[in-house]
Amino acid sequence: MIDLSLNEAETLAAKAARGAGFSWGLADEIGRAARVLAMQGEDWGEALLALVGAAQAFEAPSAERIALWRRGEQDLPGAQPLCPVRTAAFLLDVAAEFRPAPLRIANVGLPIWLSAILARSGQWIAELEEPLAAGGVTIRPIAVAALLLGANRAALAPKMLAALNAHAARTYVPESEPSRRRGAGGGSVDDD
Amino acid sequence: MSTLDLRPPEVVMRLARLGAAQPSRLSFLRVLMRRAARERWRVRRACFELNDCGFGRAVYAVETPRRVYSLVAFSTPLEDEHRTDRVIARAWDSSYVLYDGLPDTDEVVRLNATAPLQEAGRFTQRDLVLARANKSVRLFQIVVDALARGEQPGEEQLANVGYFMRTTAVYGNGKFGIADRDEIASRPELAGPFQAEMLTVWLIRSFTFDLADHIASRRNPGGAARLAPRLRRILGVGNATGLGMAPFLVRHPVLIHNWFFARETALARVRALPRAAERERNAFARALDDMRSRVARWRSADPRQSAAIAALRADLEALTREAPAILNRQARPWDAVYRLAEERLSLEGQEACVSLLLEPHGAAIDDLAKTMNADESVGYSIGGRMTCAALSALIENRYAWARRIDFCDPAANARFWYVSAEKLEPRLGQRFEEDGSEREQPLATARDAVALSAALQAEPAETNVANFLLRRPEWRHVVRRAQIVAKFPYAEIYDNLIGADLRPVDLLRAKLAFFGALNFDPRSDRWLRIALFAGEPLIEEIGVDAALGEAA
Repeated sequence: MIDLSLNEAETLAAKAARGAGFSWGLADEIGRAARVLAMQGEDWGEALLALVGAAQAFEAPSAERIALWRRGEQDLPGAQPLCPVRTAAFLLDVAAEFRPAPLRIANVGLPIWLSAILARSGQWIAELEEPLAAGGVTIRPIAVAALLLGANRAALAPKMLAALNAHAARTYVPESEPSRRRGAGGGSVDDD
Repeated sequence: MSTLDLRPPEVVMRLARLGAAQPSRLSFLRVLMRRAARERWRVRRACFELNDCGFGRAVYAVETPRRVYSLVAFSTPLEDEHRTDRVIARAWDSSYVLYDGLPDTDEVVRLNATAPLQEAGRFTQRDLVLARANKSVRLFQIVVDALARGEQPGEEQLANVGYFMRTTAVYGNGKFGIADRDEIASRPELAGPFQAEMLTVWLIRSFTFDLADHIASRRNPGGAARLAPRLRRILGVGNATGLGMAPFLVRHPVLIHNWFFARETALARVRALPRAAERERNAFARALDDMRSRVARWRSADPRQSAAIAALRADLEALTREAPAILNRQARPWDAVYRLAEERLSLEGQEACVSLLLEPHGAAIDDLAKTMNADESVGYSIGGRMTCAALSALIENRYAWARRIDFCDPAANARFWYVSAEKLEPRLGQRFEEDGSEREQPLATARDAVALSAALQAEPAETNVANFLLRRPEWRHVVRRAQIVAKFPYAEIYDNLIGADLRPVDLLRAKLAFFGALNFDPRSDRWLRIALFAGEPLIEEIGVDAALGEAA
């Protein structure tokens, strides 16, 4: 296993998410959530690989579903699993106002991400239902912000690191001759 | 304390002014020196095992009231052709780790194997900072030759170069497996911005002196001189900084706000003082004298910087002539000096004046150093209940300057920031000449704010931001930034970061000035050399005299 710092885990996760097509802002959320998962001792690498692999297979919550949630009515799952990232980001954005308690959402894809993204708000807790693959999640507001404590390193298998780096690499630009020449601007050899 | 208005961000956060930034007593290395002197830190050489050529290892242990930290230094042979300032080099004259505690033999052996590899190595959470430095070969040789003859090197020559070694990277915050900043953020001695990095560079400085002494004494045992303390004191550590540092200023908006807000608050406090006492007037005169002699030696091959230095010399002459009479006046004399600078001096002169005005006023402003940290999570949350109309108005207000840029003009869009696949380092590309702009990094702050504003126009005014972002997640980072800038006005750089006329060195200089850098020497529009710790106390002095940290 490779012993990564939490900052490395966060940066790698954000880059891999961006490489897989998430917007910059959502990629930032995913980076912070990866840090939370690592701190909680979860297999964050596996979870991240699953997320970036399925990025295109999820749907965002529709206006109709959000209306059901607001009214406290039973959720109606859509054709695709809900994107855990976009769902969690939306819930975070409306946290101050939109506090149905509890809110049950059906068929959330990779719900561990919804839980990890909400965790950093300190305002919500997401309870994942068994079996996880069914994607049932109950979200409750919490009165007192929970402190995030836990592991301070993020282990990763070399193979997993390589797979995630491949996603991250989609955010990089290959060198061209002019760009190589210009570089970051440093001189070639010290002259004094 | 009554205060004047702060200089507004529209004035402070322009690239041209950032590119004239000067270090001040709130700079991070000065903050470190004050604490080290106040707390009487003791530094001892715990290990110094170098051969006749100066290759081997050394450990410098720093005892602070709560903890011990160690600089573990490795000096290794390097062919001349491999000695490059580029961050992407693969071998260096020396490599360093700031270690949490005092390393035992096993840990030194571990670091001996990994530290010289730098980015290619893996590190642990006991390793707080990773750095490397190359010799300034010519000067180093001259100094060793002189010492070996039993003589001191010429002061002028030392002062003109300013250092024996130049760092080409100093890594913190979890890079390559070293400790996360969270690990040290709650320790008072390292809680301030870049304190661990500054401590590392301060210790490297002494290692470079000891290395020269050591080689000279091995060459002429019994006859060699040791570098005189007075000469050690004028020397610092060089640093070469390229584009890699620039995105930091954009990516840490809350932190950057806190740095500038602290400095501007300090300036406002000083300008509001009703009188200038003799003690402060004298301290101002001394600081001005010091700066004049420093600027007299400041050289740059960059024509623009050269002209700026010439203007600064004239500005400092003007201040020397006119400030004493102004400071003897009764009403807000420091404000009057600043207004003179604003009305008559170049940007270099104005920013130098800010630094000079702060210098005598430690009692009034040093407490602000504590506010220069940031809990960056305060910027994470997006106010989703804000209406699109309100967000639009906010952008109209805070980004009025950006709306004056015509992004249809190719010159306004000429560059794009990206990360190089080969080197994994930030680069600046030519949008219309090079491939890759579809992978642009989100640093086009002005263009994106203007584009967000246009996207918001298409939304019903009462739509809230949460619903907008649910449909348009591509704007999430821009919305977050705009809301941060609304609360933290110094968080934004009020200029186009992708324009044809961008000089990235302006960004680098602003950050380096907050570190405490001197002698800015742009080597192109995208990298520069500087010196850190020149004139600051030595490790052997710091625990002796608590007043030392006060000296500039």
